[in-house]
Amino acid sequence: MMMKHLASLFLGAVCLFGATGAVVAQDGPLRIEITDGVIEPLPFAVPDFVPGSGEAGETARQISRVIAADLTGTGLFREVPASAYISQVADFGAPVAYADWKAINAQALITGAVNVAGGNVTVQFRVYDVFSDSEIGNGLQFSGPVAGWRRMAHKVADAVYSRITGEGAYFDSRVVYVSETGPKDDRRKRLAVMDYDGANVQYLTDSSSIVLAPRFSPNGDRVLYTSYESGFPRIYVLDVGAVQQRGLQSTEGTMSFAPRFAPDGQTVVYSLTEGGNTDIYSMSIATGQSTRLTTAPSIETAPSFSPDGGRLVFESDRSGTPQLYIMPVGGGEPTRISFGQGRYGTPVWSPRGDLIAFTKQSKGRFHIGVMRTDGSEERLLTASFLDEGPTWAPNGRVLMFARETQGAQGQSSLYSVDITGRNLKAVPTPEGASDPSWSPLQN
Amino acid sequence: MQTGTKISLGAHGALILFVLFGPVLKGDPPPVEVAEVSILSSEQFAALTSQSAQAEVEGAPEVQPEPEPAPEPAPQPDPAPEPEPQPEPQPQPEPAPEPEPETPPAPEVTEQVPEPTPDAPEVIQAPAPPREDATPPQVDRVAPEVVAPPPPDARPDVVETPQVSPDPGEAPPQEPQEATAPEQATDRIRPEPVPDPVIAALAPPASRRPPSARPDRPQPTAAPAPTPAQIPTPTPEPTPEPQQTETPTPAPAPAETRDAVADALAEALGGATQAPAGPPLSAGEKEAMRVAVSQCWNVGSLSSAAMATTVVVAVDMGQDGMPDANSIRLLSSSGGDDSSARQAFEAARRAIIRCARGGYALPAEKYAHWREIEMTFNPERMRIR
Repeated sequence: MMMKHLASLFLGAVCLFGATGAVVAQDGPLRIEITDGVIEPLPFAVPDFVPGSGEAGETARQISRVIAADLTGTGLFREVPASAYISQVADFGAPVAYADWKAINAQALITGAVNVAGGNVTVQFRVYDVFSDSEIGNGLQFSGPVAGWRRMAHKVADAVYSRITGEGAYFDSRVVYVSETGPKDDRRKRLAVMDYDGANVQYLTDSSSIVLAPRFSPNGDRVLYTSYESGFPRIYVLDVGAVQQRGLQSTEGTMSFAPRFAPDGQTVVYSLTEGGNTDIYSMSIATGQSTRLTTAPSIETAPSFSPDGGRLVFESDRSGTPQLYIMPVGGGEPTRISFGQGRYGTPVWSPRGDLIAFTKQSKGRFHIGVMRTDGSEERLLTASFLDEGPTWAPNGRVLMFARETQGAQGQSSLYSVDITGRNLKAVPTPEGASDPSWSPLQN
Repeated sequence: MQTGTKISLGAHGALILFVLFGPVLKGDPPPVEVAEVSILSSEQFAALTSQSAQAEVEGAPEVQPEPEPAPEPAPQPDPAPEPEPQPEPQPQPEPAPEPEPETPPAPEVTEQVPEPTPDAPEVIQAPAPPREDATPPQVDRVAPEVVAPPPPDARPDVVETPQVSPDPGEAPPQEPQEATAPEQATDRIRPEPVPDPVIAALAPPASRRPPSARPDRPQPTAAPAPTPAQIPTPTPEPTPEPQQTETPTPAPAPAETRDAVADALAEALGGATQAPAGPPLSAGEKEAMRVAVSQCWNVGSLSSAAMATTVVVAVDMGQDGMPDANSIRLLSSSGGDDSSARQAFEAARRAIIRCARGGYALPAEKYAHWREIEMTFNPERMRIR
């Protein structure tokens, strides 16, 4: 009996002391690890920018709409409709009523003002993190001709996009492509350039000869393309500003095609077919002097520079089927990086340098995919009857490509997709379109 | 002696007397039935039993395996489905309502018409063995008109069993296999890992370190140590919360000016006021907090680099469960550069603030344990999605 009593006392003491010890052990802040979240577009509000004068009213409204369209088009943002607004922004300098914007779950707020004077337009804007009751970055201002109001809207959207996501900008960019009209058996093609969102289309060539594969220069002032103007495929360079073109030096009886600028803008790599064999060459634009980079009996084509200009990725069928290879620009043994089933082609190195986009044909379907530069982590982003010719946005986050529908009346059009595989959407063009090439960000 | 006792005594006595002498006082005993028994010899018994056996045979004709006519019609062909077209003058297809004992029910007419027609070209089925009470069919039991062939239900089922032939084109369909639970899985509710104070008491670090043995705590008047955040906090002013996180500053104690006993006493008293009171948060309470913040942690607008960045964020909480938005600060980051860390931190801060509407559901009695929370936002799993 005595022992039992002692045991009870001991147990009670242990409990009491244990509780105290537990309290001591629980010292410091509460620590929680969060690994699961949600992937949703971020809600934002962009009230119509405040016009500085009566004539700026329509421009202010249009700029606001373009900004909203740019952000929404990324798939990363969702605009809160104006009908849900509790408070309006009537004064650009007035303090923000955060509570009103929190109430409608607008996590980002973009306010701005537009002034038009002397044919110029000035756009001021600020971005707010509503739930932090703070401004993201500082206010900015852009000025330019009234006719260029869309570019200013794109620049505002670029700034907002970069501040919130941390990604590089890409809205203020252009795309050169081949505009197509007519049926498949009598298709007429010409070069066209447009804003990234399909606005401001301009035609650079007429439809008198077939044109293929236009490629922007690193600073966006020139375009390389292949034309059958002479009856044989030949490479031309076109000054976008002056809309003037000239053919690059070529050898009689050869076919040159698939050109692409080097990052320095002074060298061009391309494929040249001579005597039934196709290899990759480089050429100085200034001197016209060319250098043969590959010497294989197989077909080597579609070269693309790495951002640092030190390596080339290209397509070769030396293994029996078209696959992707990487080689140093200065020469050396190519390294195969694609090993999946199917045929790989049209590789393009990402502006970030971390990924290579490609076209893949497998089991009767075409895909746009990306892989790391060592061939790992291959991901197919699209699938259709015919997807081909990817091109990177300046920030390396978005790809644009051509998709052709099946059948005699099949039409080619442009699409864009996020490198996550989300947000696949069509890019509006007046006619059919193929062979897109994205320009760098405009200055 | 009381009256009741007397009555009881008298009644009991009467009862005893009745039991003892009741049968004597009764009249004649109940009559006993007597039956006369005759004695039989063994021969007479055998004769009787043989007669009863014969009677049973005559009374149960269907049980006895007497030579039945069943084997006879077996080899005979079954009646053809088309009986002789004998246009009977009785066109009524149903049996007459008059009770004719020999007329079978109507539905069986066509089946029992089995008039043996030797010219029937095909044998459909063997006729059913005639019953003992079956009488030969009369003419009026023949179907009045041509009837359809016998229904196939009497025929043995010739359902074609699908051949399980190996299809060279494709593999046989595999039945969906349900993922089996790992061996460690159990359907029992597992107890919380910590809440039992007895178990917690058995942990050596807790039991061997009473509060008075701890080193000097930073006094409430000590200046708050600057956070090691790489990104400046939104508000530069220090938080008024006297309880700071565990900073690496050792807080040197002026031991030379203080008496050891007084130190111990002061620390014991001070520790009593600063130490978290009550049991720590249970795993369920922590999980609820984690889920609450997760619901607002939106990484959909983060850059690729920010999606690869893990940030540790600290926040001071009010007793109402509301976070102090100005106290949210980045403690550390890994996996990305400063820009990525800033994006990831802002997403984390938005999550903490957005989902705190009305305050987080944290137990008020354990406020000392959650007045400061460190949250690690690790987007690795989100990146894979």
